[in-house]
Amino acid sequence: MRVYLFGYASDDFVGRVIVTPNERTVAELGRQLVAWGLEPERRGAITVRNESGEILEPADTIAQAGLSNGDIFTVERG
Amino acid sequence: MVLRRDDWLDIARKVDWTPRYVDERSLFPEQISGHPWLPHEAWQGWSEAYRTTYREYVTNQREKDAAVLGVRAALSKPRLVDELDAGWLELVKFHNGAIALAEYAGAVAELRMARFGRDSAWRMMATLGALDEIRHTQIPLLIGSDMLSHDGNFDWTHKAYHTNQWVILAARHLFDDMFLAADALDLAIQLNFVFETGFTNLQFMAMAALADRAHHHLFEKTLASIQTDEARHAQIGHPVMRTLLDNGSRERAQYLVDKMWWRCWRVFLALTGTAMEYLTPLGARARSFKEFMTEWVTEQFIKNLAEFDLEKPWFWDLFVEELDYAHHSFQLGLYTYRTTLWFDVASPSAAERSWLNDNYPRWNDLYGPLWDRLEGRWQGGGETNTLSYGLPALCNLCQLPTLFIRPGRNTACTLEMHGRRYLFCSEPCRWIFQQEPQRFAGHKSVVDRIVAGEAPGKLIDLLEWMGLTAPAENGKDLRRGLDPWRLDPVPTA
Repeated sequence: MRVYLFGYASDDFVGRVIVTPNERTVAELGRQLVAWGLEPERRGAITVRNESGEILEPADTIAQAGLSNGDIFTVERG
Repeated sequence: MVLRRDDWLDIARKVDWTPRYVDERSLFPEQISGHPWLPHEAWQGWSEAYRTTYREYVTNQREKDAAVLGVRAALSKPRLVDELDAGWLELVKFHNGAIALAEYAGAVAELRMARFGRDSAWRMMATLGALDEIRHTQIPLLIGSDMLSHDGNFDWTHKAYHTNQWVILAARHLFDDMFLAADALDLAIQLNFVFETGFTNLQFMAMAALADRAHHHLFEKTLASIQTDEARHAQIGHPVMRTLLDNGSRERAQYLVDKMWWRCWRVFLALTGTAMEYLTPLGARARSFKEFMTEWVTEQFIKNLAEFDLEKPWFWDLFVEELDYAHHSFQLGLYTYRTTLWFDVASPSAAERSWLNDNYPRWNDLYGPLWDRLEGRWQGGGETNTLSYGLPALCNLCQLPTLFIRPGRNTACTLEMHGRRYLFCSEPCRWIFQQEPQRFAGHKSVVDRIVAGEAPGKLIDLLEWMGLTAPAENGKDLRRGLDPWRLDPVPTA
């Protein structure tokens, strides 16, 4: 099922709308967000957190991580 | 013997009467006159410092109009417009679109008080205020019309508020809340006490000072002339605030002040902060936006609060923190979404970066790398490589993009209500929403409308939905101009 989420990357300046199948993994979600930013080509580790600040398991699906329509997530780039 | 002014003025201003065929509550219904509903005895001491008569008003306004029109006639030569800084002209285009018809809505607001204000002196002052606001609409429309021969996009002076352009939707949301959907009492606090007393000095006097230094003397004269009207009818707010406080409505008054301060700040950082520091020529920048805000807005507002023994808004620390950063983040948003604007947007030159860092000591560290990346993307792939194509997350209160206060500092938050998830840029926007959910919950942001299929998802169609005809009307990079790719179809999101 496709869901829309609001993503914030630590090296960006604005929140972005991400529409994605919730069967994708948290790691894929993080990479999808930074692809819309100003430095998509930069490699390195990323950490994805939910609105409460809890780190989400990269291998979990978006649905397993508890993210659904209208949720916020943040991505910290190493 | 002719009576002296002071001998007849009170009689002429105080023409309230006791209604015989309807009661006072029917004549001034609470729903539109405002609450708490107080009998007229509570309002009969209403007064303000100007005490202008209609005769004096007409004489003064005629002189002011003659002065503005005189400058217009003297400076009407096309070459004088051509000599103005290109960025400054975009600033004027931005200002005119966002302000001109908002002033017309202000006339509707003043007329509401002219009918439903609770004392005749208040109603008299509001009648003059309505005439003021019509004047504040007509002057920019006239000057915008003059500018059409120079740049067709100046038709946005009139057009903007008839479109779904996203900046305008945000401004309209604020002005609907502040005055078109407000009763007379809330209007006096929100429009007159907070917006006009607190903020219009910035938009009209500070901007007039910059216009003088940018050699745009017609704009300077216009702004300064408008502000003399604002300063007069803004006085409506003080006696209304005093009556509220004297009659046990301190909590309500504090709420209206807090709410409108935050909402005004959000629009002013987007409109005035970016225009002052990214479109004003370097030589014209007398002070930074932060300095103008501190001296012309904050200090004066705190004095007003102290006069009424009101508290600083609870989010004051966040507001002070944002003064250093928020409009710089917003400028990046304007720049990367510039095709969705009706004016051109600048990336800062090396000299401007130096100025910005002198005035905002963390600017180079925080924003320099982001502008460097954009510059690199221009070199690497041209303009298409420098635009944002994805949708920005919009706040469900202020309707503006949920920008970071500064890179890495995110204040966005959500709220679940009646099965719908709402997004906010900050705690103050969420707090305002929570105070009056019945007022705000039904509104859909542009993104909500796209997600619901009520607005187009393809960028080219979305631009048309916003009233922007590509490529002539879309904002460009100020210095690079129309990139050849714009002549091809705009890519889809």
